[in-house]
Amino acid sequence: MSVDNPTANVTLRAWPAPAKEALGKEDIIPQIIQLTTERGHLRGITEKTLLEDIEAGKDVPEDVMEDVETADKKEEPSLKARIEELQRAKVEMFQKLEFASFHAGNAMNLVNLCLSRDPARNLETAYTPMFKLTNVPRGSFGIDKGKTLDESERLEDVEIREGLKERRRLAMKGSRMEALDWATDSLLKAAVELETQGKKEAKYWEEILSISEKGWPLHRTRKEARNAPYAVRYGLPEASNHFKARGLAPLRMNKDGGIILDPNLRLKPKTLRVRISDNGQITGTSHLPSQGDLDDLAIEQSIQLSRDSLFEEELFHEMSLESRQLLGYGTEYRSSVIHIAVQGLRSPVEGRKILIDCIDRDGQLQLREELSQDWLAQNIAEALRLLLAHEHRMRLHRRSQIPPPMSQNKRQQSSPPLLRTLLAMFSHMDAVDSLHAYMCATAKTLMSAGLDVTLETSREASWVKLTEVIKEAHKKDLPATDQLLLAFTRPFDGLASISLPSSSGTQTERITIATRTYIGQPVFGSEHKLTLSPTLVEVLALEADQQRQFKFASTAEAISYLDWILALDIAHVYLPKEHPGNSVIRSEEPHITFQSSGSSKMTIKEDDLSIELKSAVLKATAYTNTHLNTGATVESFTWHGSGGQPSLKDKVKSWIG
Amino acid sequence: MHELLLYGQVPSARHDQVLKILAGVAAMQPRRVLERHIIYRPTREPEEPGAHLSRRGGTQNVAGKPVKQSAVKDLFYQQLVQKLSNEDFGAGTGHSQQDGRTLSALVKPGEEPKWSLEFQDLPDTGDRGVSIRQTSTTHLVSGDPHAWMVAAGPHHFVSEYYIEGHRFVHGNVVILLHRVLHEPGVRSLETAPKVDMPAFTALQPLDPSGAYILEAKIRLHDFKDTPVLDNGVKELLAFQEQMKGCVELALPDRLSLDSRVKWKPPPVLPVQTRPRKV
Repeated sequence: MSVDNPTANVTLRAWPAPAKEALGKEDIIPQIIQLTTERGHLRGITEKTLLEDIEAGKDVPEDVMEDVETADKKEEPSLKARIEELQRAKVEMFQKLEFASFHAGNAMNLVNLCLSRDPARNLETAYTPMFKLTNVPRGSFGIDKGKTLDESERLEDVEIREGLKERRRLAMKGSRMEALDWATDSLLKAAVELETQGKKEAKYWEEILSISEKGWPLHRTRKEARNAPYAVRYGLPEASNHFKARGLAPLRMNKDGGIILDPNLRLKPKTLRVRISDNGQITGTSHLPSQGDLDDLAIEQSIQLSRDSLFEEELFHEMSLESRQLLGYGTEYRSSVIHIAVQGLRSPVEGRKILIDCIDRDGQLQLREELSQDWLAQNIAEALRLLLAHEHRMRLHRRSQIPPPMSQNKRQQSSPPLLRTLLAMFSHMDAVDSLHAYMCATAKTLMSAGLDVTLETSREASWVKLTEVIKEAHKKDLPATDQLLLAFTRPFDGLASISLPSSSGTQTERITIATRTYIGQPVFGSEHKLTLSPTLVEVLALEADQQRQFKFASTAEAISYLDWILALDIAHVYLPKEHPGNSVIRSEEPHITFQSSGSSKMTIKEDDLSIELKSAVLKATAYTNTHLNTGATVESFTWHGSGGQPSLKDKVKSWIG
Repeated sequence: MHELLLYGQVPSARHDQVLKILAGVAAMQPRRVLERHIIYRPTREPEEPGAHLSRRGGTQNVAGKPVKQSAVKDLFYQQLVQKLSNEDFGAGTGHSQQDGRTLSALVKPGEEPKWSLEFQDLPDTGDRGVSIRQTSTTHLVSGDPHAWMVAAGPHHFVSEYYIEGHRFVHGNVVILLHRVLHEPGVRSLETAPKVDMPAFTALQPLDPSGAYILEAKIRLHDFKDTPVLDNGVKELLAFQEQMKGCVELALPDRLSLDSRVKWKPPPVLPVQTRPRKV
C-alpha cells in the first residue's frame, strides 16, 4: 500500500499457496478430503466437469462452496436447514454458557480475592485456573461498603470530610517529622560510630607506625585473625628454628584501638647471668640494667625487651646443649646451671668455676653489691653474646654461599661454638701465659749471668695482625666484625722463641715453642710444640731424619724440657766455645769437664762443671778431683735474675782459671 | 655433576621489583655478579653423523671379530668464565692485542679462583618438568687461560660476552637474575679475548630491550641417585610454584641449549669462483 494514494482499492486475499511439484503422502490425504468436501466424490470430477465449471466462472473456492451448499439445499432443503438450525442453536447456547461461566468465574475470583485477606482461609482451589496463573498476591484487593464521603453532599459528611482531611494532613506531617527524626538519629549514630571507628583505627595505626618507625619488621598475619591484621617480628632472623618461631607476636586491637600486648611479649624477660665462684664463694656476677616495671613500658620497649630475652634464652639453650659434649673439659650442666671449671685466668685460687644460668631480668635487682670479679663475669657474658651474634651473621653468610651439589650426605648443622671458644680461650691463655712468664723469667736469669739471649713471644698469631685484618676487611664479603670474631673460633696459635745462649752475633739460633689450642680434634686442649735448632740437633746427636719437633701436652713438661735443653746448650756448646781446646764432654747430661795439666806433669787436673736450670734459677756447680782455683773442691753459684751478679764466664774462669 | 634448570624472563621495567621480591623470598640481600664468558670452539671439525657406520654393504672378508664401532664423539663448545668486579673494567682502548701482556689466572693463596673452565652438555631428554644437564667446572689457578685453552683441545677463540646481575641462594636453589652484555661492533674482529677490559658503560645488553633472565638452578652431585634427584626436582618445582604470578619459570627448549658443534657438509667445490659469503 502506497502512502501517496491511501484511497486506492485494496484486495485482501489469501496468499497463493506455493505450487508444490510433488505432494507428500501426508499432504495428499488432506487435499483429497478437501476435494471431497468441495466437489464431491472423485468420481464426479473429470476434466469435462472442471472445464464446465471454469466456463461458468466458478473458479473461486468460496463460490464453489456456496455452490455446493446451495446445490445441497436445493437437493435436501428441509433436512439440511433443520440440522443447520440445530447447530446454530447449539453454538449460540454454548456461547452463552461460556459467557455465563466466565462471568461467574470472575465474580467468584473477585469474592475470593476479597476474602483472601484473611490468612486462615484457604481459597486457592476456588480460583479459576486462568486467574490462578496470573498469580495475584493474596489480600491485594479490598472492598468497602457504603458511600464514599467525597460523594456525599450532607453537611455532617462534609464536616467529617474536612476533619478527616485535616487529620490526614496532621498525620502526614507527624509521620514525616517522625521519619525525619529517626533519620537524624540514625545519621548521628552513624557519625558517632564512624568517629569512634576512625579514632580506633587512627590510634592503632599510630602505634603500628611508631613500631614500624623504630625499625621492627611488620607483616600481615597469614590467617585471618580477628583484630590482628598485623604482626611484629622481633626475633632475630637467623635464630635457630625453635627461637625463630617464637619471635613473632600478633598486634591485636583493643576496644579503644590500642595494641594489646601479646602473651609472648608479656613474658618476664630473661637474662644470662655469669657468676665467678672461687671455692664455692661467688666473687663476681654479670648484670644487665633493669628496665623497671613491665606494665609501664611502651609497646616498642616491651618488644625490644622480648627480643633481648629471646636472644639470651637462645644463648643459654645453645650453651646447655654444648655443655653435654664438653663433659671431658670439666663442664657440667646441673639444675639449670652450667658449671665450667677453669684453671689459670690469673686466679689466686685453684677451684675457680664459672657458673652460667638464665634468670629473670628483674630478679637480680636486689642484693647488688660490688664484687671483686664483676669485671670478669661481665666480660664473659658480653663475649658469649658477641659470639652468638657472630654465629647468627655467619649463618646468613653460609646460607648465602653457593650450596654444594646435592648428594645423599645431608649437610649437618653444627651447634655454634660458644663454650668451646670460651674454654679454648681460657686454656690457651693459661698455657701461653704460664709458659711465656716462665720463659721471661728464665731469659732474665740468663741475662743476669752474662748470657746473651733474646725472647720473642706472641700469644696468638692472628691477634698480632688484627689491624691488618681490619684494613683488608672490605675486600671480602664478610663484615669486619665477623672477620675479627672468626679468629676466635679457629684454633689458637701462640708462638714463643728464645735464642740459644751459645749463639750470638748475626746468626742466632732459636728454640721455638708453638702453642696450639683447639677444643676438638686433634689436640683437645692446649699443646706445645718445641722445635730444635740445628746446633742442638748436633748436640743431641740426633739422626738427620729424626724429627726435630717434640710435642708436650702440658706446660710443666714443656718447661722442664726447655730447662734441660738450655742447660745442655750452656754446658755443651757455650762453655767449650769459651774454653777451646781443653773441654771434654763425657756425659749426655749438662756436665762439662775441663782438662788441664796440673801442678805435677803426670796428673791431669779434671774440673767438672755442671749446669742446672730450674724454676728460672741457674746454678753452676764445679767440683774437681784436686782443688779449684779458689782452693775448695766444690764451688757453686746461683743466679736468680737480679742485677749486679757476676757473669757465668767470669765465675767459671775464677774457678777453673 | 648435574644441573637442574628453569628459566624465566623479566622485562627491564620489572627488574627492581623482582629483585626485591627475590630478596624477600630468599631472605638475603642480593649479591652482585659480574662475569666474562669466553667461548671456544674445537679446531677439529666434527665427523659426519653416521660416518662410522659401514654403508658399503657386505665385504668378502672372512667374518672375523666384528670391529667395534665406536660412536662418533661429539665436539662441544666450551667456555672460560672469569669472575669480575667493578674495578676490573677499565677505560678500555679496545685493542685486543696488547704488547706481550697476557691474561693471568694466578690467585694468591687463600683467595678464590677467578677463572674456570665450564663445560655444559646437551640437556637430558627425560621429562621431569625441569631441564637436566651434565656440567663440569674446572678452576684455573695459574697461567694464561687463553693460551691454555688454545693449546688444550686445540680450540680457537669464538667470542666473549659479559654477564651482569645478582645472585640469591634459596635453600639449594641458586637464583641468578642476570642479563647478557656485549661490546657492540667489535665481536667479529676479535681473535683473542681482551686483556684490558672495556669500560663498563661501553657494554650494551645483547637483548636491546634490556630484559633480564631469571635462572633457577640446583646442582646435583650424582644424577643417578634417584631420591636426591627427586628431592632436587621437587625443590625446584616448589620454587617455580612459589614464583608463579611474579615470574613464570619455564622449561627451556632442549635444543636451544645445545652446546655441540654442528657438522656441516663440506662445501661442494664450486664450478665458478664465487665470492665466499662470510
